[in-house]
Amino acid sequence: MNDAGLHTPWSARLLERRALSGDTDLFTLDLEKAAHEQLSGFVPGQFVQLSVPGAGEVPISPADLPGEDGTLTLCVRRVGHVTEQLHRCQPGDTLGIRGPFGIGFPVGEMAGRHVLLLAGGLGIAPLRSLLCYLLAYPERFGEVTLMYGAREPAVMLFREELAQLAARGGLRLFLTVDFAPEHPSGSFSCKIGLLPDLLKGYRFDAADTYVAVCGPPPVYRCLASELTEAGVPEERVLFSMERRMRCGIGRCCHCALGQKLCCTDGPVFRLSELRRIPEAL
Amino acid sequence: MELFLARLTPFGELHGPTLNEAGVCSFAPPGPERPLNLDYRRTQIPPKKYLFPFREEILRYRAGAYRAGTLELPPLVIFGLHPCDLHGIAYLDRVFLSDRPDPAYAARRSRLTLIGISCTPDDSCFCREPQHAAPCDLFLDSRGEELLVTAATPKGEALAAAAAELLVPAGEESVPAEPGCLCPPQDPEIRFAEHPLWQRFADACVSCGACSACCPTCYCFDLREYPDLLGGAGRLREWDNCLFATHGEVAGKNFRPDRLDRLRYRFLHKYCGFSPFEGISSCVGCGRCKEVCPVDIDLRELCDPRAGGAA
Repeated sequence: MNDAGLHTPWSARLLERRALSGDTDLFTLDLEKAAHEQLSGFVPGQFVQLSVPGAGEVPISPADLPGEDGTLTLCVRRVGHVTEQLHRCQPGDTLGIRGPFGIGFPVGEMAGRHVLLLAGGLGIAPLRSLLCYLLAYPERFGEVTLMYGAREPAVMLFREELAQLAARGGLRLFLTVDFAPEHPSGSFSCKIGLLPDLLKGYRFDAADTYVAVCGPPPVYRCLASELTEAGVPEERVLFSMERRMRCGIGRCCHCALGQKLCCTDGPVFRLSELRRIPEAL
Repeated sequence: MELFLARLTPFGELHGPTLNEAGVCSFAPPGPERPLNLDYRRTQIPPKKYLFPFREEILRYRAGAYRAGTLELPPLVIFGLHPCDLHGIAYLDRVFLSDRPDPAYAARRSRLTLIGISCTPDDSCFCREPQHAAPCDLFLDSRGEELLVTAATPKGEALAAAAAELLVPAGEESVPAEPGCLCPPQDPEIRFAEHPLWQRFADACVSCGACSACCPTCYCFDLREYPDLLGGAGRLREWDNCLFATHGEVAGKNFRPDRLDRLRYRFLHKYCGFSPFEGISSCVGCGRCKEVCPVDIDLRELCDPRAGGAA
């Protein structure tokens, strides 16, 4: 039985890495042909299991659509055992990839609607692949808006790139930081405040909008009530959930949200589904 | 019986319920030191150990690639399995073989021949009724001085044929049951019921995890990877335990930091089922969890409407 990519990782070579902030880098991987073919079915919001030989695996949601040249881009913060080892890897080193796994954003269903992306902190990474998708097919979607909140300007990821996209048109961009240093370096301006506050003052066509949310879990409950109050139908509010996904294929039983498994029923869930799972939000 | 067991030798190494000198009952090859003990109630560790070892290397990383090992294992005949344990194996088969089969599990499963035997429940058992048939290759149903032998699979028929001259035709047929669970599925809402038992259990539980370790249908696993000195690495799959504090941990957060959360998680998985087995209870009523719990927790009490559990 050929189970490559399912139980056994494909090999992937680290092509390059680029620092985005003090503890977060963008890793570009070169995939072998079979992995590239498998990843061509990737839907934004799905995840892969990234192996760092000798350290183990972590579930990561790609930060971009898989490249036609067979590359895959992952934005990873140095925060645990495996990511610590990943941050010691250099271009040329071998890694491993399984996937893609799970259910991503319902991009087909979202066609014809406005899309509002709400990203908090590292939550920008999975939403960036959705953003890339939305901007790759501008004719299919209405207005695309991104609200992105970070702790402080220094940890705001992709900010030049996002500003360029906004300047080009096709993306309405709102940035906010929890707090800003008194003497900010560089020419950079954005609001100061929390993501839910930013959302509170925003007027949009709620009845005709899909909302995709990814961020730290504590912010979800707050955003959920803001969005419901604004009038967005709960089945169009899409949350990317984080749990401990070890196997990725619904077996190891670490990632349950109620009776659903984050790895096979998610990681993208509709708010209407999450409302039925008491411990989810 | 000994004559019958002798006829099983060509089908693989014989394992059965045995007692060691310390009085611990376990499935093992019987011998002079460890006599076969067919009058047993339950083994400490269920037969899942044959299918899903406590720890096994599932992948090896060498020369730039991960590779799965190939398991070449000699055939085994497990003799004297009670219906609850057979139902437990049937449940694990559904989990590991029904969709995208697990290669290591499949290799271990295919080498097994299962011979069941009827049992006499004790106070710890909670199967709904004594089962006279269960999913296996060959089932021996105790009828007084005689055993009614029923073959349920081609393997079982081959076994029966090998011992044909020891058997006499039976007047009635015993039909092996479909794989299923003996404890009914529960309402998931029970986990949030305002039931004083929840807090009592959470206060008493010491998170030892014995209930999961000895459960024939608990299969949570963790994956760990260790480097070797030659630049390679081994990836191990090992039993995990939903009662351990680390079970819900991700880098920087724990989704189930409290014992109460973890007991609810266990209740939900065991008695209500996780996707795609929602609505399926995996409790087979073997009574091991009740017997081993050092603080007398019996989660099933929460299912009893008379105790106010099914609120």
